Amino acid sequence: MLKIENLHARVAGKEILKGLTLAVNAGEVHAIMGPNGAGKSTLGNVLAGRPGYEVTAGSVEFNGVNILELPPEERAAAGVFLALQYPVEIPGVNNTYFLRTALNAQRKARGENELDSMAFLKTVREKLKIMQISDDLLKRAVNEGFSGGEKKRNEIFQMALLEPKLAILDETDSGLDIDALKQVSQGVNALRSPERSFLVITHYQRLLDYITPDFVHVLADGKIVESGDRTLALKLEEHGYAWVKEHEAGVVGEPA
Amino acid sequence: MSSAATRSPFVESQLAAPASPLPGAGVPWLDAARREHLAAFAEAGLPTKHVEAWKYTALRALAQRKFSTGDAQAAARAIDASAFALPGVDGPVLAFVNGVFRADLSQLAQLPDGLELRPMSQALREDPEPLRFTLSRYEPEKGDVFVRLNAALAGDGVLLKVVAGAKVAAPVHLLFIGAPAEGDVAWHLRHVIELGEGSELSLVEHHAASGDQRHLGTTCTDIVLREGAVLHHAAFQDAAPGAALIRRTKLHLGARSHATVHVVELGAALARHDLQAELVGNEARFDTRGVFLLHAKQHGDTQLAIRQQALNTTTDSVWRGVADERARGVFRGAVLVEPGADGSDCNVQNKNLLLSEQAEIDTKPELVIYADEVKAVHGATVGQLDERALFYLQSRGIPQAQARGVLTAAFCRTVLDDLPNAELRAYLGDRLVAQLPA
Amino acid sequence: MSSETNDSTATVLRDNAEVAEVLGRQYSAGFITQIETTGLPPGLNEETIRQLSAIKHEPEWMTEWRLSAYRHWLTMEEPKWAHLKLEPQDYQKISYYSAPKKKPKSLDEVDPAILDTYDKLGVPLHERAALAGVAVDAVFDSVSVVTTFRKQLADAGVLFCSMSSAIRDYPELVQKYLGSVVPPGDNFYAALNSAVFSDGSFVFIPKGVRCPMELSTYFRINAQNTGQFERTLIVAEAGSHVSYLEGCTAPKRDENQLHAAVVELVALEKAEIKYSTVQNWYPGDENGKGGVYNIVTKRGECRGDDSKITWTQVETGSAITWKYPSVILRGDRSVGEFHSVAVTHHYQQADTGTKMVHIGKDTKSKIISKGISAGKSNNSYRGLVEVKKSAAGARNYTSCDSLLIGKKCGAHTFPYMEVKNPTAVVEHEATTSKISDDQMFYCRSRGIREEDAVSMIVDGFCKQVFRELPMEFAVEAKKLMEVSLQGAIG
Repeated sequence: MLKIENLHARVAGKEILKGLTLAVNAGEVHAIMGPNGAGKSTLGNVLAGRPGYEVTAGSVEFNGVNILELPPEERAAAGVFLALQYPVEIPGVNNTYFLRTALNAQRKARGENELDSMAFLKTVREKLKIMQISDDLLKRAVNEGFSGGEKKRNEIFQMALLEPKLAILDETDSGLDIDALKQVSQGVNALRSPERSFLVITHYQRLLDYITPDFVHVLADGKIVESGDRTLALKLEEHGYAWVKEHEAGVVGEPA
Repeated sequence: MSSAATRSPFVESQLAAPASPLPGAGVPWLDAARREHLAAFAEAGLPTKHVEAWKYTALRALAQRKFSTGDAQAAARAIDASAFALPGVDGPVLAFVNGVFRADLSQLAQLPDGLELRPMSQALREDPEPLRFTLSRYEPEKGDVFVRLNAALAGDGVLLKVVAGAKVAAPVHLLFIGAPAEGDVAWHLRHVIELGEGSELSLVEHHAASGDQRHLGTTCTDIVLREGAVLHHAAFQDAAPGAALIRRTKLHLGARSHATVHVVELGAALARHDLQAELVGNEARFDTRGVFLLHAKQHGDTQLAIRQQALNTTTDSVWRGVADERARGVFRGAVLVEPGADGSDCNVQNKNLLLSEQAEIDTKPELVIYADEVKAVHGATVGQLDERALFYLQSRGIPQAQARGVLTAAFCRTVLDDLPNAELRAYLGDRLVAQLPA
Repeated sequence: MSSETNDSTATVLRDNAEVAEVLGRQYSAGFITQIETTGLPPGLNEETIRQLSAIKHEPEWMTEWRLSAYRHWLTMEEPKWAHLKLEPQDYQKISYYSAPKKKPKSLDEVDPAILDTYDKLGVPLHERAALAGVAVDAVFDSVSVVTTFRKQLADAGVLFCSMSSAIRDYPELVQKYLGSVVPPGDNFYAALNSAVFSDGSFVFIPKGVRCPMELSTYFRINAQNTGQFERTLIVAEAGSHVSYLEGCTAPKRDENQLHAAVVELVALEKAEIKYSTVQNWYPGDENGKGGVYNIVTKRGECRGDDSKITWTQVETGSAITWKYPSVILRGDRSVGEFHSVAVTHHYQQADTGTKMVHIGKDTKSKIISKGISAGKSNNSYRGLVEVKKSAAGARNYTSCDSLLIGKKCGAHTFPYMEVKNPTAVVEHEATTSKISDDQMFYCRSRGIREEDAVSMIVDGFCKQVFRELPMEFAVEAKKLMEVSLQGAIG
């Protein structure tokens, strides 16, 4: 489904991704872990097409299409969704209106029928239930005045509604208390399906207690330096990222 | 605009021959420039309130007054220099009395390396040629007749240069003293200051009085910061209660230069200050902090005008005004972001307190923006102290009157917070508090 | 006898999704109506004014009032302080009166071409088709062609008619209030208007009456080389309440047309007037050719204690907009509000804002201004908050935000604050920025096209003001804004 080959990317002239390679198949959940500054968020933003992130080499194929050529909205329509680490406030724009516009824009781009307001509201109510979100959130402006937890839940709610093929969660766990973390994880788990893949970017192992990944990758200095199953995450938790750096530099062997 | 018949007494009085010959008189190009400026001044007359820049500052009363053109006795007047020392300001001193340089009150021995400092009068007498371009050129701006008058009659001032790379540690004290004379005197000073590439300078501009008088002083200051230069400029205006002081300070900021200007306005009956900055080099930065504290029938008018003309320039301006009794405070904070000046960031914040039924505040923050990659913010308020803060202090046992005093002092002092010279900061803060109503 | 030269779809005042969908993404009110008109030849002198007054069968006092305004105007000069590039006008080249030839006595007699025009503009005048609960005074060039629901309103005691009828039918009211808020010599354009105004609306809400429906005037300039100088006067007696809407369109013409109106509002004790404008005069083409010069003096006076006047405006049209709807807060505890959205694109210029003059005690004012500049346009907010010595306890809050779309436009803010009372609190805050990159990316990452994202964000930016408009107008305003900003990005 997603094939990233030797990806190099720069932000503000500084090279952040330095040859990242990764393949994700349909239905898989991949966790990307790594220390601060390793390039985790850059990866998410590059995949979603955020302006300012300049790809200098490599390729990203999504279902056979080179998505690096596409503007962000076309990537979204193709099924790529990025849950932002810092969701953006858009004052005065009603959340429901925003979602309906987004959903219909995507449907239209895919040649599907646009939903009328009745059908849309019906879908919204279903998803709200899954996400355990009160519909009060819908009446407010997009993310405006939302608490940190509300913003993150709103991201997952958007994901539920837009039903992407590939969901990239950029540190969705950061700034969440344990209850919010559970809610967000439940939402994500409810959306897992054989057709949908996840890229879960996180600094901490604890999110993976709730969202069980099929694979765990360690990203350091712009490259994937270690891949494994979920036990890799536990190893990281135990030894810290310092171990990765040493390990990578070949200073020490794998701890017993 | 004004013919001989309609000239105001003020304009007429300034057309008289100077009390003593102006330095540089007889130099043909300078004579010509002075004549031209004086003619333009006479032609224009004083601006009325229909000129936007003078909308809130009426010059009707000034127009009816007469001033002698300079003080012939300025060099001889007895002055106690020690009375004007400022804490934390212990570098070279250049002192002027009623617009005339006084070597006896100055301290120019052993100037720090890289600092060139001397009076304009000396340069004009010894070797005026290098000043030809500076003193001949004139960029007219609407309502700038005082600049014309200054150009026509200024015979003295400060010539200061910091050579490239020099970092002058001790603050330079520019001292302008008004002293009682036989009548009302008009004096004019012209300052030319240049900071070379990568140089640093700390400057204290100090207007003071050695006794009560009702003189008119005008100053025109041009400050150029070359690439990477850093300037700390503190202006302390403590002129005589009857004086009229009209100043224009114009800064020209090159790439990556940084000027910080602190202004404290306490004195004068009429204090007008045009503070202008042009940010012509990329990544230049200009910060201003200022306060005026007015009482009796004082009239204070600060006109801040900033032009951001290059990429990624930043300006930040925080101003406070307090008007008590029958005083009137005027503030204009204008920022112009020119086409192509992307990455400009500007902020102007002006807060004012009105303490009396008879006082007035007029404020006008302005933004004129022609580039889209900008962050421009301004805010202005006129009002009273924060009631919640007042209550908080009272709830801790501080009597209301005292609480008001504390808060008003804090309101004013905030503009001094980032003045790096701690001794000067403490002194100016105390002077502000001393002028607050008891 | 009548045919349309342009069949583009009319804008709608209703929240009619279907019509809204087909709304042409261009200035859609630009068609010309072919009807026979009668009028005065271009030119202005005392004789023109006497003729104008005679055509309208005005009483002697009205003619004299006009003439004295004209004589005063001759002594005045066009103001130059606005941030506008305005070609000097040749006032002798303008025709000061143009009216449909047939003078209708009732709706049935109105030229079908005119009825059709208003239908196309989405303002049907037949009461059976009219907007529910909105009475309309339709002004076509210099005259009011019809006023709907007059009878129903009269039953409630509300007087709503053209200014011409009011001068004939209610001379004592007109004499008492006309020029009492905007004196004939107030400014150059007000003086000109006082001399030559042709028609406009007159509203009188008697004591204690809550006007049973929204009142509205729809202005249409049709004839060529004709200036429109309308005059509106709204008087709300003690304890009364009225909401008034105003809409404006004009055909696409290469020449600039002058629209110099005066609007006066008087609110007596505890009365409330809400005045909303959706201004969509022809803005000129993308090269700055043509368009209406919209130069308007609008002022309300809260004459009585506890009265309130609210101005809400959405300005999307006109080549030049010069207007400052103001409130004189004379009554104690009176309230003035100004909510404005001004959009400029291509070569449009707007210099607009408000004046809030606090005279009474504990008076309050609020100013919310949103400016959006695109293309090569210039958009200025100019405002004055003045607190007189007498205005103890006065409060003002002003918020001005500007959005820039593109590199060649300008957004400017000129607020004046003059405070003479120490118990007043006056606050002003302003920001200028472009649409944030983060907001754009966020919308696009959810699948929304760039252009749609812009209009969504701009709509959100203006929400605070749109909320103040009656529902139908809010929908209209939003559509107009989208049309106005068409092609602004990329």
